[in-house]
Amino acid sequence: MRILGRGLRLAALAAIAAAGLMTSAFAQPELKIMAPAAPGGGWDQTARSMQQALVASGAAKSVQVTNVPGAGGTVGLAQLVNASKGDPNQLMVNGFVMVGAILTNKSPVTLDQVTPIARLTGEYLAIVVPADSPHKSAKDLAAALKADPAKVTWAGGSAGGVDHIAAALFAKAVGADPTKINYIPFSGGGEALAALLGGRVTAGVSGYGEFEGQIKAGKLRLLAVTAPNRLPNVDAPTLKEQGIDLDIANWRSVVAPPGLTAEQRRALIDTIDKMAKSPAWQEILKQKGWDDAYLSGDPFAAFLKEEQARVADVLKSVGLVK
Amino acid sequence: MDALASLGQGFLVALEPTKLLYALIGVFLGTAVGVLPGIGPAMTVALLLPVTFKLDPTGSLIMFAGIYYGGMYGGSTTAILINTPGESASMITALEGNRMARAGRGGPALATAAIGSFVAGCIATIALALFSPSLVELAVKFGPEDYFALMVLAFVTVSATFGDSPLRGLTSLFLGLVLGLIGIDTLTGQARLSFGVPELLDGVEVTTLAVGLFAVGEAMFVASRHRFGGDDIIPVRGSIWMTREDWRRSWKPWLRGTALGFPIGALPAGGAEIPTFLSYTIEKRLTKHPEEFGKGAIEGVAGPEAANNASAAGTLMPLLTLGLPTSATAAILLAGFQQYGLNPGPLLFAERPDLVWGLIASLFVANVMLVVLNLPLVGLWVRLLAIPQPWLYAGILVFAAMGTIAANPSPVELVMLLAFGALGFLMRRYDYPIAPVIVGLILGPLAEAQLRRALSISLGDPLILIQSPIAAGLLLLALIALIAPFALRGLSRFRGSED
Amino acid sequence: MPLRLGGRSLDPVPLTVGVVLSCLALLVVWDTTGLTLSSVYGMGPKATPYLIATGLAALAIGHFIASLSAASAPREAADHGPVAWIGGGLAAVVAILWVGGGFIVAMMVLFAATARAFGRRAILQDLGIGLVLGLAMYLLFTKLLALSLPQGPIEHIL
Repeated sequence: MRILGRGLRLAALAAIAAAGLMTSAFAQPELKIMAPAAPGGGWDQTARSMQQALVASGAAKSVQVTNVPGAGGTVGLAQLVNASKGDPNQLMVNGFVMVGAILTNKSPVTLDQVTPIARLTGEYLAIVVPADSPHKSAKDLAAALKADPAKVTWAGGSAGGVDHIAAALFAKAVGADPTKINYIPFSGGGEALAALLGGRVTAGVSGYGEFEGQIKAGKLRLLAVTAPNRLPNVDAPTLKEQGIDLDIANWRSVVAPPGLTAEQRRALIDTIDKMAKSPAWQEILKQKGWDDAYLSGDPFAAFLKEEQARVADVLKSVGLVK
Repeated sequence: MDALASLGQGFLVALEPTKLLYALIGVFLGTAVGVLPGIGPAMTVALLLPVTFKLDPTGSLIMFAGIYYGGMYGGSTTAILINTPGESASMITALEGNRMARAGRGGPALATAAIGSFVAGCIATIALALFSPSLVELAVKFGPEDYFALMVLAFVTVSATFGDSPLRGLTSLFLGLVLGLIGIDTLTGQARLSFGVPELLDGVEVTTLAVGLFAVGEAMFVASRHRFGGDDIIPVRGSIWMTREDWRRSWKPWLRGTALGFPIGALPAGGAEIPTFLSYTIEKRLTKHPEEFGKGAIEGVAGPEAANNASAAGTLMPLLTLGLPTSATAAILLAGFQQYGLNPGPLLFAERPDLVWGLIASLFVANVMLVVLNLPLVGLWVRLLAIPQPWLYAGILVFAAMGTIAANPSPVELVMLLAFGALGFLMRRYDYPIAPVIVGLILGPLAEAQLRRALSISLGDPLILIQSPIAAGLLLLALIALIAPFALRGLSRFRGSED
Repeated sequence: MPLRLGGRSLDPVPLTVGVVLSCLALLVVWDTTGLTLSSVYGMGPKATPYLIATGLAALAIGHFIASLSAASAPREAADHGPVAWIGGGLAAVVAILWVGGGFIVAMMVLFAATARAFGRRAILQDLGIGLVLGLAMYLLFTKLLALSLPQGPIEHIL
């Protein structure tokens, strides 16, 4: 009994020591965040903001940001899945755009292979027309689209991206043929905006932030936002209010490599949870004008699955993926 | 005159001692990172953004301006000294600038670039202050068909970089066009010429091509000739400063370059490359020393450098007045504004005039800093060329590889650098001009995208290409540029027969 | 060994370029036929590649004619050894980074290989200079300016 007792005591001590070591290791991990894009873009900014907030909030001891640009993030994704497999300190920023890029680029690796951690931010899209446009509401635009989809030219971001998908979903929701939409992709927000201000296109669809200044200055008319409910500080109805069943957001999230144990996954989720609640992160969201869309763990994993299915469906119906 | 008064206010802000210090630090950091080939001003600003986090909005924007100008000038320095253009817009600078540097005229080349950038920057900034609201209205009127016409004009003028054989020049151009096809087609999102390699989907990076063809190819070529006592580099011959003659030959190109750079830079899809191409062409046509072009003509450095800098000020116009980020750098500046909760756009001038005019004034200040910092360094820079050739070229290659690795650490990118280096060597060896390859890579995809956008808007009706007065005018200009040399030659022959 | 056609000697350089251009034209055409999606309105993604392929074919013909027309111009002598040293140096960089050797080692090898191409024989000295240069650049750009460069054994010690 004595021996057993001592053994137990020793084991308990060892367990406590190990637990202590583990919690300290997990509480202050040295993380690496990969931005699958060149420095300066949205994903890079997200990664670098996380770096700031993680360190400032004490959720991580140190954070190193690396950039792996290419092909809508799928080059970075491939590296995460293949080279970082099982690394419990590696994270990657991604978002809606990657879901589409995986399909249009026929990427051999997909988001099914990663370990989902959390959704961080989301931005709803705005549908706008030039100030002198005859279209006064989303319904007017819908009617024009149904009458002749070719005559309604859409300006937005890259082909197969969130803007394009939103335009296709809009056509589908109002009963027009989504394969016949006249969507003109522009590189970068500035060019699409210029085409709208110059009256070269009928309508524009992109993140609300891209258009905000022009809407406030009265150069563009905001027809609708793609949110499920009205947005605070935005004076525009949702599409749903105008009888068009569509809501879509351009979200950004963070994922981890495949091959993690349940504990390792839990630890990463806890770390990011801690970051998301920190004042440092909230301050960054406010500074950058990003909307908090925090969702972590299993609910995020389920959300990611749904979005993948929805995007695959849309891209097929628009004819961007066969 | 209201604008000038506000500008005066702006200067009061920008000339505070602490602000001057920020500008100096910015210029220094910008030059340090900007000299890396492959890391252009945009990425320099992005990388250094965190440095500015801790300052107040005005201070941080002033440092931004310094970093931006420093980054641009850093690219030109390497283009001139070691034939390694740091960004696509300084490729043209490398053409004549490096020839000058090898002939011992690196000092005047660097000086005309710095002073030309300064002159262009100042004039363009004044134009920015005075004409922003009215010019920008015109700029947004430019539609895809107008851009297409502008590209056509640029294509026509490319022949200035062809050398003496049209067959070889066109071959180079078409190689560039093929490289431009690689990657995702913007309009349909499909991959072309990518062979399932994901790294190729984003297309060929202009700087990788430029560094490969210019720096690596050149190193290989010189090495292959080394044993036969190939061309030696002369660090300094004659004055290291610009002579009276240099000034005389530089000032007009500076002004013409500015006149091209500012308006084209102000166009939402104008960019910095096209004005530098156009400027080079014009200088080559107008010069009294055509025999020097291709061997180191100072006009060929002065004009394009001024155009490059003026276009940078031009991009600020749509950014500040409309909130349109029309270049990568402008997009990052926009992010810089937003980090202080400011949204550039029509309201910014009204809401935060101190900031806008402070920024415009700090552009002036940064420009002055650049000249102050760099002119004394010119002597030091050209001494670099006195390093023994093996080490000089080894250093250049380390530098070129480092730029590529820092911008995109993928093995595919480095393999491309190697392949382009080999291509550059072969082209030099067999006398094919290098510049048209890069021009083809830049202009090809742009021209295609704009043409297809125009035709998509017109539902396939080609008449849209000539219905717009701007497009029609530009196309007419292109036609004249195409025919004029033949016509002039015919005319001179005609005159000759009269004598 | 001069190539001949109908009693005339052919210039091998334009001939080779002509063959390369023809192959490139075929490659572009082959790739373009594989595109499945087309634009709904206006001009599709195939028009430009076909246009470029046509241009390439025309230039190939131009080169074939040029190879016929004149005897080959005398070319300056050139060594291929140094070119191989530089190419090999860059290839070594790719390999070193691939196996995780890190930035500094890669730059050291590239420096020494290039110096060798320009006739230097003091390989150890050049490796030393390359090491110091690589180290200095690594420290300057990663520590001071937050650039990320590939890590290897040496970088991990720093």
